[in-house]
Amino acid sequence: MTNLKLDSNWQRILDKIRTWARVNSPWAIHFNSGSCNGCDIEILATLTPRYDVERFGIKLQGSPRHADVLICTGPVTLQARDRLIRIYEQMPEPKFVIAVGSCGLSGGVFHGCYNVVGSIDEVLPVNVYIPGCPPRPEAIIYGVVQLLNSLKSGVSKVGTVAELVEKQEA
Amino acid sequence: MNTTLLSILALLIFPGGLFLLGYGLAYEYVDRKLVARFQNRVGPRWFQPLADVVKLLAKEEIVPHGVQRGLFIFLPVAALAAALTAALYVPMAGQVPSYSFNGDLIVTIYLLSLLTICMGLAGANTIDRFSVVGATRVLTQLFSYEAPFLLALLSPAIMAKSWQISEINIYTHNNLWFVLTQPIGFLVALVGLMGKLELPPFDAPEAETEIVSGALTEYSGRGLALFRLGKDVELVIGLTLVAAFYLGGIANPLEFVLKTLALLVVVAGLQSLFARLRIDQTVGLWWRLGAILGLAQILFVIFWRLVLR
Ligand code: SF4
Repeated sequence: MTNLKLDSNWQRILDKIRTWARVNSPWAIHFNSGSCNGCDIEILATLTPRYDVERFGIKLQGSPRHADVLICTGPVTLQARDRLIRIYEQMPEPKFVIAVGSCGLSGGVFHGCYNVVGSIDEVLPVNVYIPGCPPRPEAIIYGVVQLLNSLKSGVSKVGTVAELVEKQEA
Repeated sequence: MNTTLLSILALLIFPGGLFLLGYGLAYEYVDRKLVARFQNRVGPRWFQPLADVVKLLAKEEIVPHGVQRGLFIFLPVAALAAALTAALYVPMAGQVPSYSFNGDLIVTIYLLSLLTICMGLAGANTIDRFSVVGATRVLTQLFSYEAPFLLALLSPAIMAKSWQISEINIYTHNNLWFVLTQPIGFLVALVGLMGKLELPPFDAPEAETEIVSGALTEYSGRGLALFRLGKDVELVIGLTLVAAFYLGGIANPLEFVLKTLALLVVVAGLQSLFARLRIDQTVGLWWRLGAILGLAQILFVIFWRLVLR
């Protein structure tokens, strides 16, 4: 494996193809870690035929093993914390997290409650924040598009093969 | 030398490998787009199935705890391989099948079932409860639609007095379309194909509202991609078989495209018309209605052959 150049042209083309595929087919899983259900209803509304996110290749998956994007709503309660981490860890790399709603961003109205850990980024690395209480479906779609744009431009690091190998060696 | 080269070509490019994968992905797109249009949506873009598969292939593959590692990796490969092999015996794109012998109809039907069996085993291999429930449903459904589907494909074979797909194809081409003379058999075959592919209303094995994704819940990345490809390939082969048997045979590529597409439109329409059946309803439907209809059809055909001719 050592004589295989990791930044060769061939490898770069492969990385381009991978990014293209990833940007065009983000499968999502939705998890409610303590939301009041307002945000969840908006997410479901986003998935209805009216907004038709299949246009962008977005698909709601039931199994974390099939998902690329974890769409997370609400503050993280003490009870949901371990489950949230578990679901995140069940997802295969590369994976991304979108926090939806004011509560997911900061704890919102539940901030400082006795049973609440806090915002989602205290538990998981969050890629995109979508503010609003609850955010409209347009806002949610916009958030997903932001994530895809950041993937395309390379702001959100997916880890090319070269980087993954470096990380493992380090 | 030349024949080996031709066989390799047949396996990798024309009726087997690349052509079939590309065609399967295209048909998955047509199917999804049609269903989306029936539901008043815009639907996916044309490269969507390809992007899905490439993305899945590029993802990490997790081998969960408690599975038999070798089987977990081997089953998707076997499923896709079986589906691709089945393509060698059917008149793909109106060409003469690459391999053909007396009795290849039975071999093809068994190769097509292998995908389903692999999915059932894949589900039973994991310790995840959703996978296990999905696996039992996959296998239950297999036992319910397989017999009527086989019966429905047998009656053209009896009419053509041959168990060879290419000969049946020629026979149907030279006679009145069987969809007119044997409409019941056509219906059973088409609906049986939908059961085989686990399309709605027969998608209880992967009912995402109840059991997450059924037997494939634990598959991520490559395994899932291979199973999806296998299903796409099976869609094309199944449509080809039904078109060859009931829609007057397939003689040239144009007929192939038109007839299979027409069938696909009907299948997509049925998918969006009906809601999901419970697994017991599926079994009941097949054994109470499907099998009886198939039997009646085949008895009628035998009667016709023996008495009226
Ligand atoms: S942001 Fe608003 S709608 Fe969403 S969970 Fe919090 S309180 Fe509910």
